[in-house]
Amino acid sequence: MISKDKNPVELNQDTVKVGIGGYIALAVIIAFFSGIFQNAAGPLKALDYTNLLGAFGKLGKLAEGGGSLAANFRGTGGNGIRDGFMFTLTLVPGVILSQGIMENIVYYGGIDAARKLLTPLLKPLLGLPGNAGVALVGSLQSTDTGAVLTNDLYQRGQLNERQLLTFAAFQFSCGAPIGNMVSAGAAMWLTMLGGIPLGKLLGVVFLAKFIGANLMRIYAAKFVKEEK
Amino acid sequence: MAVTQPEVKKTKKNILDLFVEGGRKGWATGINTMLPNICFAFVLINILELTGLSKAIGIIFNPVMLIFDLPGIAATALAAGFFSMGGGAGVAMGLVTNGTLTARELAILLPGIYLVGATIQYMGRLLATIGIKSKYYPHLFLICIINAVIAMFLMKLIV
Repeated sequence: MISKDKNPVELNQDTVKVGIGGYIALAVIIAFFSGIFQNAAGPLKALDYTNLLGAFGKLGKLAEGGGSLAANFRGTGGNGIRDGFMFTLTLVPGVILSQGIMENIVYYGGIDAARKLLTPLLKPLLGLPGNAGVALVGSLQSTDTGAVLTNDLYQRGQLNERQLLTFAAFQFSCGAPIGNMVSAGAAMWLTMLGGIPLGKLLGVVFLAKFIGANLMRIYAAKFVKEEK
Repeated sequence: MAVTQPEVKKTKKNILDLFVEGGRKGWATGINTMLPNICFAFVLINILELTGLSKAIGIIFNPVMLIFDLPGIAATALAAGFFSMGGGAGVAMGLVTNGTLTARELAILLPGIYLVGATIQYMGRLLATIGIKSKYYPHLFLICIINAVIAMFLMKLIV
């Protein structure tokens, strides 16, 4: 399916050098979405997603003791697709903000830093060789990138069938968690969580992904015979 | 994304350029992906409410969802999640905006939705592309469901 000489750059672990900027970018993105600086004193407040998101203006002013006010242009008491449409419009600034930040993080090497840190953990955590690191990090942002790179590793004989199943289990459950939950998803529901930080949700999702992949790893080790 | 880095570095970009470039992608995601998904979710909720099905679903799934401190109707968001993450999350958010779910219940439910998220789509996009034999598909679906159960139970304990 994929020729042997395709994606040579992606599979070479040493091709991309990770500088200090990459680690700083990674630290910034973790701080940004985790909510740790949401209530910080001073300028650190600017390192928080919710704070940067700000708020829509209210529709008018309330007379003392009377009436109710919509929180924003969506209004109150709507339903059906019209309400859904207006609701989505309230979310779009959040998506623009998170994608704008992510674009910078990727450019300054934050994702490469994550890969460098993750690679030595792959063997103990998932039973995968270090060179699956690129595919793993790719899969965090895009399901299709992860799929193509994983298949490439298999075609090259760098993963056996058991490892392929383990890796597939990891990627299949909550595919592209960063792309779906952070870049696009966070904007959708972060403001509705009543102060519960995104980091908690992401932490639990990652933990579950690792548990699930290891269940598959155990199953594969017991019941899947290698074809050779 | 990491894979494109060597090419990206060839042209120098500043923070503003990058932000605008990302923002454009964000606009496309918001309008082309989220908008139809959420509109679908709101229509689905409307249909469930107009037909009275939401009450029935609430009653039928109540015993199961109670394990996670969730009302039975939350099962509709999980079911929609199998088809699309955005759709499932959209249903959950719709349930919050009409007062059916609380913020805490949303926090418990969301990891569950994402862990089974879009698996119907990913069967083709991910499993088939990777080259997984179809006889293992049920195992992989089961793992997603186990993951969701673990995650929702953990969320129940920590939020």
